[in-house]
Amino acid sequence: MTDNMNTNPMLPYLGKLVDVKDIATEIKLFRVEMLNGGAEAFHDYKPGQFAFVSSFGVGEAPFGIANIPKNGANVLDFAINRLGSVTTDLHELGVGDMVGVRGPMGNGFPMDEFKGKNLIVIGGGIGGAPLRPVIQTVMANRSDYKYFQILWAARHPSLLVFTDEYDEWRATADTELHLTVDQADSTWNHSVGLITQLLEQVAPSPRNAITITCGPPIMIHFVNRVLVDKLGFQPEQNYVTLEARMHCGVGKCGRCNLGTKLICVDGPVFTMAEVGTLLESFL
Amino acid sequence: MNYLTRQELAAWLDRLAQEQTLIAPLDIAGNILYRPVADTHEVVWNFVRSFMSVKEVFFPRTERLMLIEKIGADVKLTETLPDEKSIIFGVRPCDARGLLTLDALFIDNEPIDPYYAKRRENTTLIGLACQSLGPSCFCTNVGGAPDDPAGMDIMLTASGDGYVAEIITEKGEKISKRFPVFDGLSEIRPHPSPARKHGLKIAPKEFWPAKFNDDFWAEMAERCLSCRICAYVCPSCRCFDVRDEALPGGDGQSQSERVRCWDSCNGIPYRRVAGGHNPRFMKNQRLRNRFYCKFYYFPIHYGPVSCTGCGRCIDACPVNVDITEVLGYVGRR
Repeated sequence: MTDNMNTNPMLPYLGKLVDVKDIATEIKLFRVEMLNGGAEAFHDYKPGQFAFVSSFGVGEAPFGIANIPKNGANVLDFAINRLGSVTTDLHELGVGDMVGVRGPMGNGFPMDEFKGKNLIVIGGGIGGAPLRPVIQTVMANRSDYKYFQILWAARHPSLLVFTDEYDEWRATADTELHLTVDQADSTWNHSVGLITQLLEQVAPSPRNAITITCGPPIMIHFVNRVLVDKLGFQPEQNYVTLEARMHCGVGKCGRCNLGTKLICVDGPVFTMAEVGTLLESFL
Repeated sequence: MNYLTRQELAAWLDRLAQEQTLIAPLDIAGNILYRPVADTHEVVWNFVRSFMSVKEVFFPRTERLMLIEKIGADVKLTETLPDEKSIIFGVRPCDARGLLTLDALFIDNEPIDPYYAKRRENTTLIGLACQSLGPSCFCTNVGGAPDDPAGMDIMLTASGDGYVAEIITEKGEKISKRFPVFDGLSEIRPHPSPARKHGLKIAPKEFWPAKFNDDFWAEMAERCLSCRICAYVCPSCRCFDVRDEALPGGDGQSQSERVRCWDSCNGIPYRRVAGGHNPRFMKNQRLRNRFYCKFYYFPIHYGPVSCTGCGRCIDACPVNVDITEVLGYVGRR
């Protein structure tokens, strides 16, 4: 570690895995304790910001940070689906192993602007990861926000993330949790069907409301259609966080542009009104 | 005004090569390439344009960003910033302009990329004005000129049996002090050059959005092979990939290096995410992105247009995708 640590944007901070647990099929929650400079860099990040996680020897990839900063705890959560080379290697690591973390990056959700509003959080599959800090923010500052609805979906019950936290979410004042899966198993006693169907059933009012969606692009598209066409929301009320392949996170590598916007520095959080004005489609 | 004969120039460069790395145009299997030389013995003095641009000196095809050593449960990262001092002889104006374009991205746009910035700081450019334009050159149509000294530290222009030398920066003055013939910083002459391809110019920014959904891109892309050579020969394309590569290790220590290497938005997996989604899975979307990046996105993000009119992509493309054809199309109302 040198003094250049803080000036070289490509150099990761080191972090130690302090907890690794399976939270869904092929999805693990990694808890990283940041060491040396990393603790300062990550002491005050925003919900919706992301970081690159390195599995040393294989490479790094960007992930939404899945928790909010807790008074000096220096601990970051990442919910990671095993899909590519980096995530496969990360899944081989255990408590005590070192990873690299670069960030925090991106704009994050404007949680202050959401104060005094009804919030509807809509998460699909691993897309729930960057929404967990939003849920945690509302729970930690419950009186700042009005009615809170969480619509949570996955293809199958085994792919739902953060299941052991649902009781805590439900127990929060003025909070509803609605679950749906595309395909149920014998133990499932919630909705079955697409999240757009669940959204139509729950039918949140657009009055003084903000929606926050993360999931596969096709889900984001159709959720916004239901919100706008059937429930009367304006695209400006619908916040999304978009995913892109990227290699620097600081507006250099060129990878993540969506028309004139760079997802890494201009995003990953946009309103659907902004997304609608972009030259290029995110689909 | 400084004037050097060819012999004096060679003698000066030979002397500089004793002190710093001298990089100069060589003929390698029929291609002009900038490579380190021990002296000027094999340097090519007359050429139109090199096959690869000088970009690769500052932003190498593959470069190590850091050394990664796993020692037991610990990991040691060693930042590997370049520190070699070098001089490049024979830089063409289009390539110097390419560096000014990359400066806007890597240096002027925070955070500074220390790898690129170090190499820029440690390298002195000796420019060589073009005596003639090549068949695919169109620098004059995109704001450049065959004798444009922009970005050079010293600019040489062939004249008679020798060269007129303009010393442009302090960096240039520093290396000129090593040779008695130079008399210090010069005033830069205006370099008026006639436009060559009549009427062709960069389509203004406001022309681009309206053409985004035109059939033109699909027609153009029908012949595109997504081979990416256009980006690799380009003096201002900068897309890169980052990954770790294993190094041979021993004694229970596992060593690897994090490298970055050139990439191109024309490649199929460029935008594909791990889950399989690819918002640019069509060839026309990828080809279109490259041209929009050069003339619309890059200027919005970083300032300059990302094309210097060197024409390398036109020569290198195996299926004649021609960037001037694109400019002609978009420039038409």
